[in-house]
Amino acid sequence: MSAGQDAIQEATNEVACDVLVIGGGTAGPMAALKAKLRNPAARVILLEKANVKRSGAISMGMDGLNNAVIPGYATPEQYTKEITIANDGICDQAPVYKYAERCFEIIQELDRFGIRFQRDGNGDYDVKKVHHLGTYVLPMPNGDTVKKALYRQLRKAQVLISNRFMATRLLNAPDGAVAGAVAVNTRTAEFLVIRAKAVILCLGAAGRLGLPHSGYLWGTYENAANSGDGYSMAYHAGAGLANLECFQINPLIKDYNGPACAYVAGPFGAYTANSQGNRFIECDYWSGQMMQEFYNELQSGNGPVFLKLDHLHADTVSEIESILHKVERPSRGRFHENRGTDYRHRMVEMHISEVGFCSGHSASGVFVDEFARTTVSGLYSAGDMANVPHNYMLGAFTNGAVAGEHAIDHAGEIDLPAIDVEAIARERERVLAPTRREDGIPPNQIEYKTRRFVNDYLQPPKVTAKMEIGQRRFSEIREDLETRMVARDSHELLRALEAASILDCAEMAAHASLYRTESRWGLYHNRTDFPEKNDADWFCHAILRKADGRMVSEKRPVTPYIVPIEAEERGAYDRQRVRRQA
Amino acid sequence: MPLAHSPSAVPVTVDEAKCIADKGCTVCVDVCPLDVLRISDLTGKAHMKYDECWYCMPCETDCPTGAVTVQIPYLLR
Amino acid sequence: MPVTDPFENFGDVAEIALGLDDADPAVRRVAVLALAETADPDAVPHLARAVADRNLDVRRQAALSLGGFDGPQTAEALAGALTDPDKAVAVAAAESLTELKDQRAGAPLLPLTGHADPFVRAAALRALRGLRLPEALGPAVAALGDPEPAVRAQGVGVIAYLKQEAALPSLIAATRDADAEVRRAALGGLAFARHASAVDAIAGALHDSEWSVRETAAEALGRAGAAESAEVLIAVLDDAAWQVRQKALRSLGRLKVRRAVTSVVLALSEEMAGLRKEAAAALGEIADPTARAGLEGIVNDPDPDVRKTARWALGRLAA
Repeated sequence: MSAGQDAIQEATNEVACDVLVIGGGTAGPMAALKAKLRNPAARVILLEKANVKRSGAISMGMDGLNNAVIPGYATPEQYTKEITIANDGICDQAPVYKYAERCFEIIQELDRFGIRFQRDGNGDYDVKKVHHLGTYVLPMPNGDTVKKALYRQLRKAQVLISNRFMATRLLNAPDGAVAGAVAVNTRTAEFLVIRAKAVILCLGAAGRLGLPHSGYLWGTYENAANSGDGYSMAYHAGAGLANLECFQINPLIKDYNGPACAYVAGPFGAYTANSQGNRFIECDYWSGQMMQEFYNELQSGNGPVFLKLDHLHADTVSEIESILHKVERPSRGRFHENRGTDYRHRMVEMHISEVGFCSGHSASGVFVDEFARTTVSGLYSAGDMANVPHNYMLGAFTNGAVAGEHAIDHAGEIDLPAIDVEAIARERERVLAPTRREDGIPPNQIEYKTRRFVNDYLQPPKVTAKMEIGQRRFSEIREDLETRMVARDSHELLRALEAASILDCAEMAAHASLYRTESRWGLYHNRTDFPEKNDADWFCHAILRKADGRMVSEKRPVTPYIVPIEAEERGAYDRQRVRRQA
Repeated sequence: MPLAHSPSAVPVTVDEAKCIADKGCTVCVDVCPLDVLRISDLTGKAHMKYDECWYCMPCETDCPTGAVTVQIPYLLR
Repeated sequence: MPVTDPFENFGDVAEIALGLDDADPAVRRVAVLALAETADPDAVPHLARAVADRNLDVRRQAALSLGGFDGPQTAEALAGALTDPDKAVAVAAAESLTELKDQRAGAPLLPLTGHADPFVRAAALRALRGLRLPEALGPAVAALGDPEPAVRAQGVGVIAYLKQEAALPSLIAATRDADAEVRRAALGGLAFARHASAVDAIAGALHDSEWSVRETAAEALGRAGAAESAEVLIAVLDDAAWQVRQKALRSLGRLKVRRAVTSVVLALSEEMAGLRKEAAAALGEIADPTARAGLEGIVNDPDPDVRKTARWALGRLAA
């Protein structure tokens, strides 16, 4: 191995564009594509810290759509109602409704790109009804080709792709509007200044926040590349972040830490069971309430929890395996093989994931409206990091499209905003500081310690005094990060920058959790010293942002519903809650 | 404060007889979301340089010669 | 000075294609990958050349890579590879052919439906299915008389995707095929036709010797039938295979078959919780008040999904 590989090079480049999309996973490519197709003369840059071909949460594709709103099966009203209830009412419905209206068009478009959805004997979409609510599943038998199909579209449309560049901060114009971003090459440490009229943040979840039980930093539920850089950048640019205390926690296969995909196996007859092989989940909605029930069962005498398939016919199990072992997390088959677990004969042990931020699965994200606009002018966000609750992969595609279309129109109306040269110089020094040190603390240790304290002090059930200790520990780590962290090459610099994002997210998680002095969303925000839901004081969003260099939180009313929720339906969620605590 | 190395069994292994990185192939290095693979200046073949693996498999799936094998990291196995 | 071009540059197709002339097959293979990467239609003729390379790894890679392109020229190159002496190349070509979307790509495939090799016949029909070419109907009907079950099954697929009433008799005949997979494909393909002859054929298959065929029939009847014609499903509620009972319950609910209520209430005491839930859901769909007592009997079922579904169904009865 030569010293040449990953060596740090001193260089700076500057480019300009109409729309800059940061993050080439799911929402990002769609945003870039839609922006470019709407105005082919425009310059659209897609920036990605890995490679767009295989980056993001769906690097190996996806096994199906679990929130398809398809005419004839479900209506936007039904879907919006379900999402509102699953979020304990804290939901601005307009973006949810817009997703529901547009997602079928996106399904058809993905189909044209070559992504195949399961069809019945007559070639029509083979939609699976999961239960009597408005949730529908559409399996994707060749879901492993999603990324490649998207990539071809980007190539055809001539979107400018910048791989292996990690964005570190957004640039603000003097009036506060977004003016671009700075990025650093992950293999050369070269600096790149990208001026833009609009920026779309699509950087995915903050998945490297809690530490998995295995202790392996990379054994996360989310793609381990999703280190919360988007949350951190949005925060430093002054954008509001909504309901970060509504953590992401998911059921998963223990140790393997990948999704059990009960929703894929469910229509075939598989289900989540306790050690007696019995179902135990009362909640109808994929929600924090469901996760609370999962957690309770894990802790109870009936625990642990399993995915049960051993009652199914061998042919059916083979069919499930052919989907689950090929797509999304294909190494799952290998994991079971190592342990000699055959679905036909043995239940699969499950657990709950480490905590994270992710709006794709819960509701913790950058605040956006129905046009994917954040609270900063010209700055958009879509996908797992944008606060459209429970929007999953199809939501990332759909809201990415919404963001791309709106952003390119916005860019057409304005001149390139001014940038602050001094701010760029300061950012350069901040980014490169770990490379200027001869020795110190390596990024992996900074990261491990941050994430261990996230587990120790922030993991629900949340306790006020513990979270306050967590905050003190985080500020100690911050001191180390800013004065002692060392990066010996470009790759370590990438990890050092990620460690900084992770620490930002940890501090936001603590601050947001302390601010909301009630319990809500089941396990996601279960505070032992404020055990009750308090609608009188807290039926609102909690928005966290940076004001005058400090972290502040404030209440924001929930926008009046466009799809009314009957009192009785609203109560369904609460009744389940009462039963649990009784 | 000098840095020490702690050993770890890497999850990704490359069969050097099959690897054609020395002929210009960079597929596995390109597709890794965590950027942990490199082509060795010494052998011209791909190898895992950093043990930071999400065991996600694009390197194995996309390798045109079947040279790459991804194992579950030992701590999780 | 910047040392890295910030934007991906895929190079010039003609220049990359020079690598296809290299003596080293690994270099040729790398050239194939690079050509595919460009996503430029100009790469197709070069890939067509590579799919006939003397080295089988190069040919296989080219066959896989052509899956990212479309149009008649792509189809023609892949069609040629279906008869490759190496099976791996032929299989890769067959897979890539299913990616075609451009109807003009059908032309080179139509003659292959009469090829001497059954693998080629089946692959051509499978690729034609998704293209939904009206001209494929004739060859597909002819394929139903093929000696190979795999070819017959693909023929059924082509016909079913075209959804033409004129082809119903051929599909109905295929529901009595000697091969179970062909029968299943035919039953699944008949569901679009809300026609008495189709419904009769599906009903006939409810007593097939294979459980998987009976399951497909029970499901298909829910899509094809009407409440009256679906009454035959009541008789399947004591089928030996639970999968068949499950699909029958689901179809009875979907078609709101009122005369099935008494039998579906009996299914509320199925041993498998999943079936009790299915029965409760069906009763909720049918929403007949006579199911009330039965449903009330399971509101305290040990399985939460059964309880939830029973509560939902009782709500539907009340409405």
